[in-house]
Amino acid sequence: MADFSWDVRSPLDRALVVGPYGAQGDAGLALTEIRDFDLVQVMARRGKAGAMTKATKAHFGVAAPETPKAVAAADATLIWSGPDQFLVLSKGGRHALEMLAPVFAGSASLSDQSHARALISVSGDKARATLAKLSSIDLHPGVFGVGAAAATSMDHTSVTLWRGRDRSGLAVFNLLVFATFAESLWHTILDSAAEYGVTISHSEEFA
Amino acid sequence: MRIVCPFCGERELGEFTYLGDAKPQRPAAGADAVYDYVYLRDNVAGVMSEHWYHGGGCRAWLKVTRNTLTHEISAVEPAAGAGAAKVGA
Repeated sequence: MADFSWDVRSPLDRALVVGPYGAQGDAGLALTEIRDFDLVQVMARRGKAGAMTKATKAHFGVAAPETPKAVAAADATLIWSGPDQFLVLSKGGRHALEMLAPVFAGSASLSDQSHARALISVSGDKARATLAKLSSIDLHPGVFGVGAAAATSMDHTSVTLWRGRDRSGLAVFNLLVFATFAESLWHTILDSAAEYGVTISHSEEFA
Repeated sequence: MRIVCPFCGERELGEFTYLGDAKPQRPAAGADAVYDYVYLRDNVAGVMSEHWYHGGGCRAWLKVTRNTLTHEISAVEPAAGAGAAKVGA
C-alpha cells in the first residue's frame, strides 16, 4: 500500500509573501492570514433547531447566532452562516469536531472545515475602502458594527465576513474563504489595496 | 435588480441563481401529469412566483414574487424546507 505523508500547509503558502506590498510609506492596510485554527460547521437537523440552540447555550454559555452576526464565547467564536446553521471557530482543539460531536449528538450535523477554509484578517485605515471595492455590503460602522457578520460573495467567491473587535481604534474585518479560492481572492485584495500600501503577515493567533 | 433575502437582507442579483416557476407541484402519479410537471411552463407576463437560490450568501432557497414586465419584487419568503426550524419542529 502506498505510504502517504500528509504535509499540512496553508492554502496561501505560495501566494503570501511577508512584508510590504504596493505603495510605499505608511501602509493603509494590514493583511494577515490566521493559520492553524479549528472550524466546525454546525447545521440543525430537520425540526431540531430548538435542541441545537439549547446544546449551544449549554456548551458555550452563549446563544447561537440566529441572525447574521458573530458571537464571542469564552474560547470560541460562533459565526452565523445561514438559517439554523453556524460555524464554530476556535484554536487548540478545545472545540474541534470530536469535542463537539457529543455536544450536538442528535440535534445537529457537524462538518469539519478546519482545512477547507483560509482565514484572512483585514485591518488598517483603508480596510473599509479596500473591501468596498470587492463587496456590495455596506460596511459603514453605523450599519456593520463590531460582531456583525454576513454570508456573501466577493469577486464571485462565497465568503463569510464578520467584524471582530477593534484594534487600536480601527475596525478589523475577518474573512473565511474556501481554501481553493483563497489564492485568487488574496491576489484580488492585494490589487485593490496596492494604492494604499499593504503590510502582509501571517499569524498563529487570532487578532 | 436586488433581492431582499429574508435571512441576509438586501443583496445584489449576482449572489442569486434563478430556478424558475414556483407554482408546479410534483404530481403523485400519472405519466401525463408528470410530463406536464416536468416540461410545461406558463410564459407569464406579469406577476409570477419564482424560486431563487441564494448561493452567494446563506445558501437558502427563496420564493420570490416578481413582476416579469417591470422586475418589481413584491414579496420574498423562504421556500419550503429552508432552515430547519420551520420544518417539523
